[in-house]
Amino acid sequence: MTVDLDIQQITVRFGGIVAVNDASLHAEGGTITGLIGPNGAGKTTLFNVCSGRVRPTQGTVTLGGQKLDGHSSANRAHRGLGRTFQRMELFENMTVRENVRTGPEALFSSNRFYGLFICSRKEGREIRDRADEAIERCGITQLASQTVGDLSTGQRRLVELARAMATPFKFLLLDEPSSGLDHSETGQFGQVLLDFVSDTGTGILLIEHDMSLVAEVCALIFVLDFGRMIYTGTTSDALVSPVVKAAYLGEVAVAGA
Amino acid sequence: MTRLLEYLVPGIADGSIYAICALGLVLTYKTSGVFNFAHGALAAAAAYAFYQFRNRNHLPWPVAAILALIIVGLIGGLLLERLAGWLSSAPPVTLVVATVGLLVFLQSLATAVYGASNIDDFRPFLPQSGFHVGHVTVSGSDMIIAALALGTAVGLYYFFQRARLGVSMTAVVDDPNLLSLQGVNPANVRRIAWILGATFAGISGELLAPELGVSVNDLILLVITAYGAAAIGLFDSLPLTFLGGLLIGVAVDVLPAYLPSSNVTLQSLPRNIPFLILFAVLVFVPARKFTERGMRNVRRLKPIRQYSLTVMGPAMSLAAVGLIVLPFVINRARVDQYSAALGYAVIFASLGLITWTSGQISLCHLAFAAIGASTMGHSLSAGVPWIFALLFAGLIGIPAGAIVAIPANRLSGVYVAVATFGFGILIQQIFYPTFLMFGVLNNIAVPRPHVLGIGFTGDRAYYYLCLIVTALACASILVVLRSRLGRLLRALSNSPVALDAHGANTNLIRVVVFCFSAFLAAIGGALLAGVPQSASGATGGQFDFTVSLVFVAILAFCGRRPLISPFIAAFLYEVIKIYPFFDNETVLKYQGVAFGLLAIMVAVAPGIQAGRLATSRRSSERDRSPVTQRLDDRRLGPIQPSALALGPPVYRSGRSPSNGSLSNGSSSNGAGVRPLGSKTGRQL
Repeated sequence: MTVDLDIQQITVRFGGIVAVNDASLHAEGGTITGLIGPNGAGKTTLFNVCSGRVRPTQGTVTLGGQKLDGHSSANRAHRGLGRTFQRMELFENMTVRENVRTGPEALFSSNRFYGLFICSRKEGREIRDRADEAIERCGITQLASQTVGDLSTGQRRLVELARAMATPFKFLLLDEPSSGLDHSETGQFGQVLLDFVSDTGTGILLIEHDMSLVAEVCALIFVLDFGRMIYTGTTSDALVSPVVKAAYLGEVAVAGA
Repeated sequence: MTRLLEYLVPGIADGSIYAICALGLVLTYKTSGVFNFAHGALAAAAAYAFYQFRNRNHLPWPVAAILALIIVGLIGGLLLERLAGWLSSAPPVTLVVATVGLLVFLQSLATAVYGASNIDDFRPFLPQSGFHVGHVTVSGSDMIIAALALGTAVGLYYFFQRARLGVSMTAVVDDPNLLSLQGVNPANVRRIAWILGATFAGISGELLAPELGVSVNDLILLVITAYGAAAIGLFDSLPLTFLGGLLIGVAVDVLPAYLPSSNVTLQSLPRNIPFLILFAVLVFVPARKFTERGMRNVRRLKPIRQYSLTVMGPAMSLAAVGLIVLPFVINRARVDQYSAALGYAVIFASLGLITWTSGQISLCHLAFAAIGASTMGHSLSAGVPWIFALLFAGLIGIPAGAIVAIPANRLSGVYVAVATFGFGILIQQIFYPTFLMFGVLNNIAVPRPHVLGIGFTGDRAYYYLCLIVTALACASILVVLRSRLGRLLRALSNSPVALDAHGANTNLIRVVVFCFSAFLAAIGGALLAGVPQSASGATGGQFDFTVSLVFVAILAFCGRRPLISPFIAAFLYEVIKIYPFFDNETVLKYQGVAFGLLAIMVAVAPGIQAGRLATSRRSSERDRSPVTQRLDDRRLGPIQPSALALGPPVYRSGRSPSNGSLSNGSSSNGAGVRPLGSKTGRQL
């Protein structure tokens, strides 16, 4: 069963600055939706609103019909919303395998009141299986016993992605998962995401700067500029849209084009 | 009315002193992100210096006062700035350890040089004559103090609102790199803030000295009043802090007159108003009202080296055998000392557990131990079998731990330490002398037991009983560290944000481990009390709040190992003083000085090292400032210095801001901009 993410009229103000201005977005479950925009457009802020790290001035976030407003980050995770971070949040002193296992383990730990202390045999097996599967999916099997702190940026991105994939989320928010990957890695990366979505039915909302990747995987993209949602449509349409060009390159460039 | 005035006038004067002190505290916290637990000790240091110059060197008081301020305010302030600089990207635990180490250092030094007792031949130095309102005298000194405080507050307020330097001061803690791009030297800004902060502490110490007498413990305790005032200002607002100081001063002086003088507990309440306020603020004010200062770009603690089982197994067995044969190897008269050390080892282990795994620091662990010891005494006298009494003592520790941990963990980092600091003093002052704990005589009997028909009253027998309990405590710690809770704790110390995003209840994890720690500490306290077969809550005794601080300092330099470090710490604290060289008067006197100094050194060492290594690890992404990150994200090519149009950042004394990406990208730019080590060009 797939689950949709719906963002309705979110506004976020930091003091006098309006970071996100009345932005709405609908991302369908079981597909990959792109969220692009120039730097400072408010993409990560929108993610932070969804995952409960930033309280919006107004607006609502709904996941599969359940309102998420007012819930803590942990609560939202339990409702099925997972995310990765632009500035990676990894357990630096742990190995790759431990990192990935900690994802589902963290979720299971607060399922029951004794979950913090006791890990049943069945749960333990599920954690191991999920972690192994996600590690393989992301192609980091050969790194599994290395400490995360020693890895390159691209490898660390993959670890973070594997951790989110190992956790039984229904919807994932991925914040620039491909930045730091080298060219060949990026090439395979799109297929990894597509396989994951078709295998598990998880929905993905993707912030990405690499347009070829976006074009490869996203059915639909949303373009955010100065906190406003300025464009919605298929990727190929978006790339030729004058509105989007103006946002990325400035008005003059459009006039000259 | 006259009666009110009679207490109100000195109340305002006292309140003004607290306000000055609190303003200094908030000022340095705002500008450096370091919550200075030694702020009160600075005040005491100034008072002692003042006393030294005035009474012993017979200098006129203005000269003595200014000399003392130069030493504490100027020199002390500059040293503190250096300290804060080294700590600028240290984790909260390290910040607390450093300033607590400084507090222990100053307090022990003052006690060693001037003795622990109050020096009361310190005459007032400000004019005492004044005018009368009815029967109430308003002395010159009251007026001078109040005017001084008001002037300071108003001056500071306008300074922060208007002056460029003041605005820089609030900026410096959030992003020193950005500030240096604006052509302001962050180090200079910090220096001025610390000099002002230390000077304020010094002034308050000098003003309090004639009233209280020069006594390091009283001064530290009374200047902690400033924490209450700072809490009213939410550790941020200067005007509110000032008002808070006044309010506390008035309340402390006026309230006793209106409370029934026969009730000892009620009479002790007003003195504890600052702690009650501190606690109430931390409990009831919503978490988002608190600004956590300087929590960006925090460096993580290096992982401790793990030894394999082939190394650890034999080593552990050897240590265990050593502990078992010990009572037959050493002089019989010393067995008791080792039994006590086992009790202390349990307390150290419980403290280490929360400090190094969940990053919480407790400055009240001896209060939990005291709760355990007194509960043990009560249970035993009620006829409860020893084993159950011990368990019960531990269980009582759990709610006590929860009372501090639940509110403190809504907030983060340094506020946990502040809350425990207040809690420890509160328990000691209000509950130690009541029937709940040590009774009016502040002493309770804790006899040694007969367990399962075997008498453990002998020294060696009791040692073995302690050893069994200690072994069980260690085993329980190992089990916790190996369990899911332990794994989540490791994750928590690395990235609480990620753990939260994956659905773990991070607050619950912190509270649970804190309560477990309090449980163990209470058991340790109960064991400890069985050694002399009595426990006392006397000031300066084994459960005094200052001992909790010393514990934090000692544990800091004994390493971060969950089981070995506590034993080393307990040995250093309790046992070493009975052996030659360490058993003479001078070494004992200066023991605390050494503990404090070592703690500071351990805390700043990574900072100094990082300063030397300069940029070798700066290219890793999480160390970059938002500015460089965004520049990088735009995929701009090398940046020419002219493009910044703000001039090159000013790096002084080898402490460049915490990233080198800017200049890494522009290897062709001018001299002096490139930080040391960027030549290595090591990219992750």
